[in-house]
Amino acid sequence: MSALLEVVGLRKRYKDIVAVDGLGFAVHEGETYGLLGPNGAGKTTAISMIVGVLDADAGEIRVAGRAPDLATRAMVGYVPQQLALYPDLTARQNLRFFSGMYGMRRAQARTRIAEVLELIGLSDRADHAVATYSGGMSRRLNIGVGLLHRPRLLVMDEPTAGVDPQSRTSILDSVQRLTGEGLAVLYTTHYMEEAERLCDRVGIVDHGRMLTEGTPSELGDPDLESTFLRLTGRALRD
Amino acid sequence: MKVLLIAQVGLLRLARDRTNVFFVLLAPFLLILVLGQLFGGQDGLRLGVVAAQGQLADRLVTALGSGTRVTVTRAADEAALRTAVERGEVHAGLVLPASYDASLAAGRTAAVRYLIRRTDLRSHDVGTWVRSVVRQESARVLGVSPTATVTVSTAGRAVFPEGLSAFAISAPPLLLLFTFLTSLTAALGLVETRALGVSRRVHASPTRVGTVIAGEALGRVAIALAQGALIMAGSALLFGVDWGDPFGAVATLLAFSLVGAGAAMLLGASFKTPGPPISLAMILGLGLSALGGGTVPLESFDPTLRTIAHLTPHAWGYDAFAQLVRHDAGFVDVLPQLGVLTGLALVLFALGTWRLRRALT
Ligand SMILES: Nc1ncnc2c1ncn2[C@@H]1O[C@H](COP(=O)(O)OP(=O)(O)OP(=O)(O)O)[C@@H](O)[C@H]1O
Ligand SMILES: [Mg+2]
Repeated sequence: MSALLEVVGLRKRYKDIVAVDGLGFAVHEGETYGLLGPNGAGKTTAISMIVGVLDADAGEIRVAGRAPDLATRAMVGYVPQQLALYPDLTARQNLRFFSGMYGMRRAQARTRIAEVLELIGLSDRADHAVATYSGGMSRRLNIGVGLLHRPRLLVMDEPTAGVDPQSRTSILDSVQRLTGEGLAVLYTTHYMEEAERLCDRVGIVDHGRMLTEGTPSELGDPDLESTFLRLTGRALRD
Repeated sequence: MKVLLIAQVGLLRLARDRTNVFFVLLAPFLLILVLGQLFGGQDGLRLGVVAAQGQLADRLVTALGSGTRVTVTRAADEAALRTAVERGEVHAGLVLPASYDASLAAGRTAAVRYLIRRTDLRSHDVGTWVRSVVRQESARVLGVSPTATVTVSTAGRAVFPEGLSAFAISAPPLLLLFTFLTSLTAALGLVETRALGVSRRVHASPTRVGTVIAGEALGRVAIALAQGALIMAGSALLFGVDWGDPFGAVATLLAFSLVGAGAAMLLGASFKTPGPPISLAMILGLGLSALGGGTVPLESFDPTLRTIAHLTPHAWGYDAFAQLVRHDAGFVDVLPQLGVLTGLALVLFALGTWRLRRALT
């Protein structure tokens, strides 16, 4: 297994807060890696640097062995923590716009958009404005945009926050199926059981540092939640 | 083409907002119609008269005002009357010579002069009335056949020359008003794109910042140009406004649209939340237009105020359209105005691009 994503000594400081402090880890092809940490641990900051929307102060990021550039951006799908969609446009229009931003051709995009709509269960509402969607439906579309261009690495920042357990399972199962085809997933979540079930490996972070890393079973003594509490002194959710 | 797609989404979002349909498609034409009516009036006929004191002169003026259709107002002198006619404040004017009473008393001919804008159809109505009253009056005074002569006279360079329709006065300032206002209010789309996190997401895609900026710039230009072209073409078709030399008119529209688009780039790139820019868009959109000849014609400003007015792009656009629409000017004649507008557009685009680049990275 080769590392699709390698992060070494990543650092970011906002004025007087060091949000990410020498973070390092790797995600391999076909692997699902969960980044767990309490509120303010630096997860979103780290992910922003990994997908290239925020400049790092120090450290190294390698995607498929290369320093980030336009070509590596095309290999990465990004699902931000906050919904990033045009609410006044329909799901299809949003997907068409982002497919264009990822350089997909129209004809190719059309079939892929239909596939993604099916995958996130929005085919029948595809031509309604996103503003009319429920919270969970918008979340699903938010994820769909990240999958559109068949990325090799999917980076999701709390993709399922606010989604009902049933949809959560169905979305993540679909993502799981894609990992079978080699998709690597890096994601953060506040749902411990979800991480236990889905992740091949998890990393527990706080104050911008990696506290421990391992498979859920390695860290799950007696369970992941207890390990988390012991290491961070905090519950996963405030 | 990513640039086209970014521009296209901006337009699509604008079109999906129903209130825009009113403000962009209907409001300009409603205002052209309403203001055109104010200038051109469909109410009673108005005749302006210049007459010296005198028994016979007074009698003629009284006779002219004795009908129900024509209201007579007195003007101070011929220059004031001509201005009133040119501006459409009265439909026609009648000038009695100072020697009117004396000439008639001495049994000589008195020539009264009748001033009109030739294509103002209402002036023909007034003319029919004036002719019949003057004829009756001369018959009464002299007991002989009428001797009054009717001549049409427009001396000097008229601000609003004869033949100009009222809509041709109201349409150009409204084109400037709406092109600029729509550009600025549409800049909200750019603020939202960033506030919604869509910009960040695009930034994570293999799309260069320069491409995003070019797409947004193209979108701004398309919106401004669409609004301006709609008003230009619509007012020509619906109200028969003649915009003059097509090259000059299109060049002015283009130059002014670029200014609106540049201002929109700068506005859209300068704010993170939609509240302040929408207020600013309204204040700037309406305020600059009012200062630049949008509510009161620039010609009636005093020289100081006119100089101040020319700090607005609207005043330069106004001047260019005034040349083209009213004075048969061509492309070359409006080059100075086009130069100022293009220069301003370049400055605004440079500032807008710089701010947007900073906001996106
Ligand atoms: N733009 C910013 N300016 C200043 N400080 C920031 C900024 N963004 C994040 N921070 C700070 O950096 C730290 C890490 O924030 P970050 O959003 O990365 O945490 P997180 O692990 O994603 O938290 P959560 O689980 O609540 O999403 C926090 O202390 C936060 O207040
Ligand atoms: Mg976060």
